Amino acid sequence: MKEILITGSAKMANILTADRRAMVLMPRFGIDMGFGDKTVKEICREKKIDPDFFLLMVNVFLHPHHFPDKKLQNTDPDLLLTYLANSHDYYIREKIPSLKALVDELLEKLTFPVKDQLFKFFTDYIEEVLEHIDYEEKTVFPYISDLVSQPNPIVSTRWSTGYNIRLFEEKHDNIEVKLSDLKNLLIKYFPPAEDRYLRIRILNELFDLEQDLIDHARLEDKVLIPIVRQLEQNKTQP
Amino acid sequence: MAASIMVAEHSEIIRKGMLDILHHSGLFNQVREVHCAANLPEMVSRYKPDILIVNPAMVDTNIRDELANGTDYHLKLAAIVYHFYEEDKLAVFDEVISINNTRAKIVKKLHRLLQKETVQNKTDISQVLTAREKDVLKLLVGGLSNKEVSEKLFISSHTVMSHRKNISRKLSIKSLAGLTVYALLHKIVSLEDLQR
Repeated sequence: MKEILITGSAKMANILTADRRAMVLMPRFGIDMGFGDKTVKEICREKKIDPDFFLLMVNVFLHPHHFPDKKLQNTDPDLLLTYLANSHDYYIREKIPSLKALVDELLEKLTFPVKDQLFKFFTDYIEEVLEHIDYEEKTVFPYISDLVSQPNPIVSTRWSTGYNIRLFEEKHDNIEVKLSDLKNLLIKYFPPAEDRYLRIRILNELFDLEQDLIDHARLEDKVLIPIVRQLEQNKTQP
Repeated sequence: MAASIMVAEHSEIIRKGMLDILHHSGLFNQVREVHCAANLPEMVSRYKPDILIVNPAMVDTNIRDELANGTDYHLKLAAIVYHFYEEDKLAVFDEVISINNTRAKIVKKLHRLLQKETVQNKTDISQVLTAREKDVLKLLVGGLSNKEVSEKLFISSHTVMSHRKNISRKLSIKSLAGLTVYALLHKIVSLEDLQR
């Protein structure tokens, strides 16, 4: 299926109505809905957002087969880091609390020992997500910032410990897998417990979150990591 | 485990003999008799026995469809035979009890039948995995590595990994944490097992 790329002259509203996944991108760029019929270019100018960067992110986020190779060279890594930090905000402040509230409600309706098993699995899962986010913010992002700002690689201690971006890649899959498992456990294996609509609400949240994480991971894989690899290469060939 | 059984046999001698064996077997808390083929569908439908011992002459080969059409009801069929029957006539039965079998043998057959996984039971949640897969799952969830599992079950590491893949594929659950929840829900392990 040929994917139609979004350009600066597209109306922002049309992007959202064409693909609801685009909604979560708005807060990450500091854009509020209610922008009328403005185009991408106009909104970016208003909000002082780099339009090339915005289009790069939107197209990669929404289009699984889009390869951004040519556009990456001039991308400012700091913009990327800001975007990613805003994404994390969304998970920590919005997604996880709302999911947790629903699961708490479900737990009240279940009986032992099923109740404890779900509680443990879910709590562990949330902890893993939060740990992963923490790891990204405390280790990966500073590493990348260093790469950009430090002219001399030997000065950066993180570089000298042999850390590189490949380690980051490997951690992605775990979280996606557990989320998928949770979905299947709720659909197939947890016994019914007077929670028909509640379970549907939880599953809707999980389906949403799953899709968002997939799209988010794609951004990291297709944009962030190639940029960092390039930065690492630049350092080793002074 | 309390099970119920029904005997459909027109010969009174044989039927009463069977009932005696069933009553004394200690396996069943409900034992019913049917002596006429016409009543059979209604009796089965009303009482839903776990096992039906029936004389093949009283039924057709589409007996399963006739008697147990509902998806929730799993009926196990045992034939009581004292004539020669062709193999395909008996194929529909899960077990065959011969008039020559001793009491002990009959009880043994019924006991085994109670525990058997029938074709219909494959839709049962706990029956999706094979016995071997459940063995592997139990050990993996208990914290053993692939190597330790292979040593414990006397199979190769490769086989263990293959079982693990099949388990994940069948259940659509990949993480060890998810498999643990599954195992707990299906009583393949208990909380005490895991705490050790």
